[in-house]
Amino acid sequence: MIWLFLPVLIALSALAFFGGREIASRRAGASAIKAHSRPSQHGYYALIWVGVPALVVLLAAAIFSGPIEQSVMQAGAPDSIAQLEPFRRDAFFNDARLVSAGQQPHQIWPQALAEQLTQEARRYGDLSRLLSLGCIVGALVAATLGGLFVYTRISPTLRARNRVEGWIGGVLFTCSVVAVLTTLGIVFSLLWDSLRFFQSVPIAEFLFGTQWSPQIAIRADQVGSTGAFGAVPLFAGTFLIMLIAMLVAAPIGLFSAIYLSEYASRTSRAVFKPILEILAGVPTVVYGFFAALTVGPAFREAFNGLGALMVGGPLDGLGQYLMLVQNQMALVAGAVMGIMLIPFVSSLSDDIINAVPQSLRDGSYAMGATKSETVKRVLLPAALPGIAGALLLAMSRAIGETMIVTMAAGLAANLTLNPLDTVTTVTVQIVTLLTGDQEFDSPKTLAAFGLGLTLFLVTLLLNIVAQRIVQKYREQYD
Amino acid sequence: MKLPFFHNPAKASDGREGGASDNPGLPLMGGQIVPGVTDTTRPDETRDESFLTPEPEADARGAPAAQRVPAVTAASGTAGPTKIMARDVSVFYGEKQALYDVSLDIPDKTVTALIGPSGCGKSTFLRTMNRMNDTIQGCRVTGRIEMDGNDINTKAIDPVLLRAQVGMVFQKPNPFPKTIYENVAYGPKIHGLTTNKTELDGVVEASLKRAGLWEEVADRLHSAGTGLSGGQQQRLVIARAIAVNPEVILMDEPCSALDPIATAKIEELIDELRERYCIVIVTHSMAQAARVSQRTAFFHMGRLVETGNTEEIFTNPRERRTLDYITGRFG
Repeated sequence: MIWLFLPVLIALSALAFFGGREIASRRAGASAIKAHSRPSQHGYYALIWVGVPALVVLLAAAIFSGPIEQSVMQAGAPDSIAQLEPFRRDAFFNDARLVSAGQQPHQIWPQALAEQLTQEARRYGDLSRLLSLGCIVGALVAATLGGLFVYTRISPTLRARNRVEGWIGGVLFTCSVVAVLTTLGIVFSLLWDSLRFFQSVPIAEFLFGTQWSPQIAIRADQVGSTGAFGAVPLFAGTFLIMLIAMLVAAPIGLFSAIYLSEYASRTSRAVFKPILEILAGVPTVVYGFFAALTVGPAFREAFNGLGALMVGGPLDGLGQYLMLVQNQMALVAGAVMGIMLIPFVSSLSDDIINAVPQSLRDGSYAMGATKSETVKRVLLPAALPGIAGALLLAMSRAIGETMIVTMAAGLAANLTLNPLDTVTTVTVQIVTLLTGDQEFDSPKTLAAFGLGLTLFLVTLLLNIVAQRIVQKYREQYD
Repeated sequence: MKLPFFHNPAKASDGREGGASDNPGLPLMGGQIVPGVTDTTRPDETRDESFLTPEPEADARGAPAAQRVPAVTAASGTAGPTKIMARDVSVFYGEKQALYDVSLDIPDKTVTALIGPSGCGKSTFLRTMNRMNDTIQGCRVTGRIEMDGNDINTKAIDPVLLRAQVGMVFQKPNPFPKTIYENVAYGPKIHGLTTNKTELDGVVEASLKRAGLWEEVADRLHSAGTGLSGGQQQRLVIARAIAVNPEVILMDEPCSALDPIATAKIEELIDELRERYCIVIVTHSMAQAARVSQRTAFFHMGRLVETGNTEEIFTNPRERRTLDYITGRFG
């Protein structure tokens, strides 16, 4: 409702701009001194003073009108409604709002309440009209006051140009503060809920325990009623998958970066680079079902077939094991995640290798070195810190990656380093702990925050180290 | 009014290509050409006006121009036979031609300076001599370059091995991000020139000594080469180039990133290296060409304008453009 006022506000601001410009040029013309700022800068100054206060009033109204409405309605409700159970009362007021907006109520109320409903709906309509009117008037008053203030201020000596500049700086600062505050808020909520989790589960047990079974029984006499929150199997699973992913991504990504920056002609570079970038743009969920539906079954069939060949031979035991391999295994998730990381590693490494000065290449070629000798003996040693940084960044992505592991790694918290086994990761467990109907005060749900905090700290550390290394490396050649 | 710098091109007497110096005994005093002494000795009737710019300072009788010419202080005379012979060398970068039919003989055990304004093709020409232009995409070289009578642009010549024979030093010191020792050992290692550590140590020491850097770095051979000063880095790069025992050393403005003291040291070094190697140096500094080179070739707009003994180029250029350049009127 009150947002309908926005076009009016825009029109008012435009009026303020043109009016301010006009007034400024008239006053400058009438005055003997040379004006400090151009008329249009005065116009912008007027626009800010008219638009911003009104906008602030509107924003405040949008945020607070809902709660105000609710509390006024509840305070003024007749006893028959005030005596309802809280959830029924909420439903009642909800329906009252619907009726006042001309819609059908969600449920059929008993006769007595239904009469109350029409009455309350009318009261609701009156109240919200009053509130809307109030905030429109408030906005108009704010705009007028701002306009009057500017009207008294505009003069040839007013430094409108610098003041507008100050406002622009303020707006930009506010935007960046929003980003920082949001991050801080997320970190603190993570910390807060983790603390609650660590009140019920000791930190040492969480970090060093080897049993993970977060299911807590509803009744105390059920099997496994306590639950176990030792996260070591999750850390091991995460590490195993990250390791497999890096074994795939590091060499392939690095070598393709070397090819692109040193060997590729301009034309093949123009073909390969965009394709790698497309690969980087594939959503991880697509990689996820690629892993679950294509790679997983293919790997299982290959291992089962290999096992069938070995059964009865000298490696009978291994054959028996391979025949029982399942679709979901660390190897599949790790390999697909590695493919996902290839473009990431290669484009970062490509940048870093390209940042090695041409003079070093020239120097090496002029000594009679071939391309591969130059790469091996000059470029890679020079780019090594940067490449290490790129690999650390890739690692932190691998640790935080969720979709692929959710779909392809499995759920069983096995403490194993066997890549053919089903493992689970920190991210997968967070997903399973928080999806579905949950109560948000049991250790089971809060465990997700503990895991989240651990994950956040590890990736933060990796990112900081990696950024430092890359930064240092960049400075070296600037 | 006549200038002492222009003479009859037909009268070849000193072995200079296509030109003559009719006044070999040009008086020098304290490194300065004394104006006016040679000025009236011989009228210059056959002067070709076609390529002349308007005469400078009408009645200065050559003096102001002559005073701006750097004094030639390098040892004179070419010591060796022709090492590199270029014939009709043209270089194209894609469609753009950067070098037009350059023919030049470069003698062994001599410093040959390539001078000329920016973009005149002197560096491009330098890079044809070790086929460094091969590393630039879209670069094409035509014509014939012979080293010791062998065409270096044939298929039979491996550019990688050629570059081991023709060392190169660049404008900006470019030591590899390795230790001083590893920098010098780089060439011997990749070419397998030594069989054991002792031999390699010997090569590194000899190269550093020859580059005049041994005394300064002997106690920190295993610290980073990039930690040296600019001048030291450039000498390290020279040591690296001579460690593979090249026959020719190409230098592309080796001192342009250095301070005067470091420059003096490099120039001294170039003069010493002249006894063993054929050196070709590209320089922006006329004074440097005059100090270190025995032969000078002047390039302009992708063409070789004039070449000859440095002393003659600087005292007696045949071409107006050369005079204008060495006196600092353009470039």
